Amino acid sequence: MSQDDEKWGIAHVHASFNNTIMTVTDLTGAETIAKSSGGTAVKQNRDEASPYAAMQMAESVAEEVKAAGITGLHVRVRGPGGNLQKSPGPGAQATIRALARSGIEIGRIEDVTPIPHDGSRAPKGKGGY
Amino acid sequence: MRVAVTGTPGTGKTTATGLLEDRLAEDDSLPDLEVIHLNRVLEDEELYTEVDADRESKVADLDALSAWLAGRDDVVVESHLAHHFDADRVAVLRCAPEQLEQRLLERGETEAKARENAESEALDVVLSEAVEEHGLESVYEIDTTDREPEGVADALEAVVTGDREPSAGEVDFMGYLA
Ligand SMILES: Nc1ncnc2c1ncn2[C@@H]1O[C@H](COP(=O)(O)OP(=O)(O)O)[C@@H](O)[C@H]1O
Ligand SMILES: [Mg+2]
Repeated sequence: MSQDDEKWGIAHVHASFNNTIMTVTDLTGAETIAKSSGGTAVKQNRDEASPYAAMQMAESVAEEVKAAGITGLHVRVRGPGGNLQKSPGPGAQATIRALARSGIEIGRIEDVTPIPHDGSRAPKGKGGY
Repeated sequence: MRVAVTGTPGTGKTTATGLLEDRLAEDDSLPDLEVIHLNRVLEDEELYTEVDADRESKVADLDALSAWLAGRDDVVVESHLAHHFDADRVAVLRCAPEQLEQRLLERGETEAKARENAESEALDVVLSEAVEEHGLESVYEIDTTDREPEGVADALEAVVTGDREPSAGEVDFMGYLA
């Protein structure tokens, strides 16, 4: 495939304790190309359900994205995503793997998780990702 | 017993633990616990390493704070950093991000500060950290949305006395991000 055939977008992954959602936009962020309905974890089985649900969600989004002619995605992850896991959380990781498996090229992966703060905040890497 | 009271800034920790403090002092049937407002300790003892200029926020020296807390065992530690230290029980206050943002703006915080904290709350950042560091069996999630401070203090009192079961992930605030 020549350079000219490449078209890149951004996958915005929001990974909370129970849920992973993804929006794919163009590189400016202005145009939304695809939006997930959300990979909600089954409460009783959160550890297993979360990555699985996120993966299924990512697979369906990947089809839409490819249909729109996108060949590669940069990934912006926001949120710790699930319990008992290191950043990026299982939802985010499963999402990225599913995108790659569907044949989409993965570019830069950025963690832009917000940092809780008042007059103080945690150092980076300790909570403050 | 050490109880940590954590939660995103604006969830009402200082307000609710202030009420709890009065109850602990007045009611002999409650355990004898001292309430520590950790932000005051951080300021008074200068237990921070640098200042995050973008956020007008002091970067906590967690090791120094942990050393300061060592030996203080019958305490309620109140701070959005409280879950980073040893604790027997960890109460995590929650608040719908729209309300949290409003509370912070009314407290006089900047829009950027209110917004980043509301996003943190929408993504369960503090809850996830608390569960990661302490396990599901030690975390007590308390939703303060549409709840008076006295009601929040009731819930904290129940954590302290053991009249409440651990819980986590019962709210879903992600709609705020849409
Ligand atoms: N339960 C509540 N309902 C509505 N507003 C509250 C409640 N608790 C506190 N507030 C208000 O919200 C703001 C943040 O409360 P504060 O106790 O300072 O939170 P924190 O210590 O968690 O940052 C304050 O202006 C306070 O008056
Ligand atoms: Mg406070």
